[in-house]
Amino acid sequence: MLFNSIDFAIFLPLVFFLYWFVFQKNLRWQNFLIVCASYIFYGWWDWRFLSLIVFSTLVDFVVGLLLKNQNNNTKRKLLLLTSICVNLGFLGFFKYYNFFLDNFVSAFSFLGVSIRAEGLKIILPVGISFYTFQTLSYSIDVYRRKFEPTNNFISFTAFVSFFPQLVAGPIERATNLLPQFYTPRAFDYTKAVDGMRQILWGLFKKIVIADNCARLANIIFNNTDEYAGIVLILGAVFFAFQIYGDFSGYSDIAIGTARLFGFELMQNFAFPYFSRDIAEFWRRWHISLSTWFRDYVYIPLGGSKGNKFTIIRNTFVIFIVSGFWHGANWTFVVWGFLNALYFMPLLLTKRNRKYIEVVACESKLPTLCEFLNILLTFALTLFAWIFFRAENLNHAFLYIEKIIFQSLSREALVDTYNLLYWESGFALIALLLFFLFFEWNGRRNKFAIAITGIKWKRFFRWAFYATIILIIFYYAGEQQEFIYFQF
Amino acid sequence: MKKFLVKISFFTLLIVSLLIILDKVFSVYLSKSKYHSSGEFNVWNDIYAGNINAEILIYGSSRAFNQIKPQILEENLNRSCYNLGIEGHNFWVQYLRHLEYLKKNKPPKYIIVSFDLWAMDKRYDLYNYTQFIPYMLFNKNIYKYTSSYEGFKLPDYFIPFYRYIGKRGVINEAIRNIFIEDKRMNNYRIKGYNSSDKEWNDDLDNAKDSMRYYVSGTDTATLQLFQNFIKECKEKDITLIFVYVPEYIEGQKFTINRQDVIARYINFSEIYNIPFFDYSGDDMCLNKDYFYNASHLNKTGSEIFTQKFVNDLMAHPALKDLKKN
Repeated sequence: MLFNSIDFAIFLPLVFFLYWFVFQKNLRWQNFLIVCASYIFYGWWDWRFLSLIVFSTLVDFVVGLLLKNQNNNTKRKLLLLTSICVNLGFLGFFKYYNFFLDNFVSAFSFLGVSIRAEGLKIILPVGISFYTFQTLSYSIDVYRRKFEPTNNFISFTAFVSFFPQLVAGPIERATNLLPQFYTPRAFDYTKAVDGMRQILWGLFKKIVIADNCARLANIIFNNTDEYAGIVLILGAVFFAFQIYGDFSGYSDIAIGTARLFGFELMQNFAFPYFSRDIAEFWRRWHISLSTWFRDYVYIPLGGSKGNKFTIIRNTFVIFIVSGFWHGANWTFVVWGFLNALYFMPLLLTKRNRKYIEVVACESKLPTLCEFLNILLTFALTLFAWIFFRAENLNHAFLYIEKIIFQSLSREALVDTYNLLYWESGFALIALLLFFLFFEWNGRRNKFAIAITGIKWKRFFRWAFYATIILIIFYYAGEQQEFIYFQF
Repeated sequence: MKKFLVKISFFTLLIVSLLIILDKVFSVYLSKSKYHSSGEFNVWNDIYAGNINAEILIYGSSRAFNQIKPQILEENLNRSCYNLGIEGHNFWVQYLRHLEYLKKNKPPKYIIVSFDLWAMDKRYDLYNYTQFIPYMLFNKNIYKYTSSYEGFKLPDYFIPFYRYIGKRGVINEAIRNIFIEDKRMNNYRIKGYNSSDKEWNDDLDNAKDSMRYYVSGTDTATLQLFQNFIKECKEKDITLIFVYVPEYIEGQKFTINRQDVIARYINFSEIYNIPFFDYSGDDMCLNKDYFYNASHLNKTGSEIFTQKFVNDLMAHPALKDLKKN
């Protein structure tokens, strides 16, 4: 079920009603309702893949319980290994099987050995990368004795399958989310209203910004041969906003929806395009995944402790693995590699934590230096996004080659003008400016319109929300699936 | 919770009210568009205004509204006439127009059904779907006869404003008409008829180049509907007349089963005893000057044809009452 569908518009109020009006007095029934709702939500795509979630839930629940009473280190390791093998096994099979097979065959044919191997027609279950990481974090935390395993199966199942964040995150930790299923939830007016506002802004980001940028980005990326470099730069900019609007919009809707049910999910995006260096960008982009890799991969490898070689190795490992997590394609690996490359000078000169606070924290506008840093960081990100979006490495290299060698000519400018004119590009640019204005204004908060209009008279505040709703309805035609569902 | 529910309900009510108002405003002003939806709004508006009440109606596709000029029929037969031809649609949607017409207008005395090779077929997409938007909310007939196509979803028919969501072109057109009177394509459909002064286009050359041949299909449900329609007309004492309008000779070969389709129409006319005027092999088919493409007559061609058709109508022994004195 998509957040931006009429199905969800019916589903959400129905679950909300049952949750607060029918089962409000019984925590266990409330959690059971969440499990049922989550399974319906997920099964709406393909009910067959529910079995994967159920199996993964069972394995990690049992592993957790067994770890609780197990003091033998070897057996504890074996139990953890079981959880890792099951979760990564599913992920590996559904997501990477064909990739490894193809590369295996290519590698052998490069060595002169011809191998015949047929790939499997595998459908990637929606959100598998998200819930496997979530359940893995539970087993690892229990293994590390950082978290007391639960013996409440319903709560655990609700934690694994919680529908707002099931298919595209934020990837929650058991330490944050699971305890929320143990305690009775009281309806909180402020939280709920805030949640509604966040849902509204998330829908705006997804439907207005992401889906419309996607249309132009797809035209440009799918016809790289036909366009001059300057148009291709524009294509990368549109893609940058597409992926941001798409993913952060989904996260906003997820967090807002969870708040309606009395849950607090972690912030997943914190205005990353206003970052002044790449380290800040990675503290603000897909926070739940970055911190997951930090806690479960980077730190166990030694983190930034040790000699320079270890630091460099660990940084490359974490970025490349993170890239590979996004998909079975070398383009994602290069994307991760590039980000590691960008990050390295900051890390080695120990300037990676220079910008912790949000930009222009005390002022309305950034300084010239901050502004240039933001532009430079955005440009670096943009370059990496080309690999992320490209079909394959050849496509990415062609794209970059055209940007470098065929950007500035009279024909290129005419091309740009024509594309923007015929594809409503000028209106989209105006919308992006409108969007950036609100994002900039709200950069000190958890989401852009968290406090916009709070002090206004109700009439103006509601008129503001109504305007956003009408803009969403006006631009709603280009419905596309959330990009991160494929990861 | 109570405060939240009260506020959210009130806000939702406001938004819903706003959307109902916008739905009404957009529908009214969209239907004023002469340019949008190839002029079909003109015909729908005439139907829903209930001021057609013609004695003779012409049904069919674009081959009806481009080729049979009601004014010539009116002059010769002394009866009011209107052309309800609907572009790109088979009999399934032509029948919808018939039903909507009868809701607001008096039944005609005569219906001329202009056949083409695809009349009993059914396309999968709802061609020119925007033409239904202003009139379709809670309209059971439109729901019944358009929902089987790839076009609208269920909520489009029953939730106010839903069908406008994301249709920027349609909304822009409606807003434009609020501020500017639409003078584009003025008089495009007069009494439903459109005279095409177009030059001969390259449709035929393209068809020749692509060497694509077609087989006209038959949709069983459409066929059944057509037979029911014949019975309905008999019950309502409406005289039916069938006509097959000329097609340019070189275009005729592209439909492999053309003769079978025409034979079926002849068969219909014999079974139900309905006069059939078949111009599929008429001399006009040989003259390219009368056409703007292989299946559509131009202005000159349609006027000459209509006069010829009227003369034949008046000469037909079973239609002696057609001309009013």
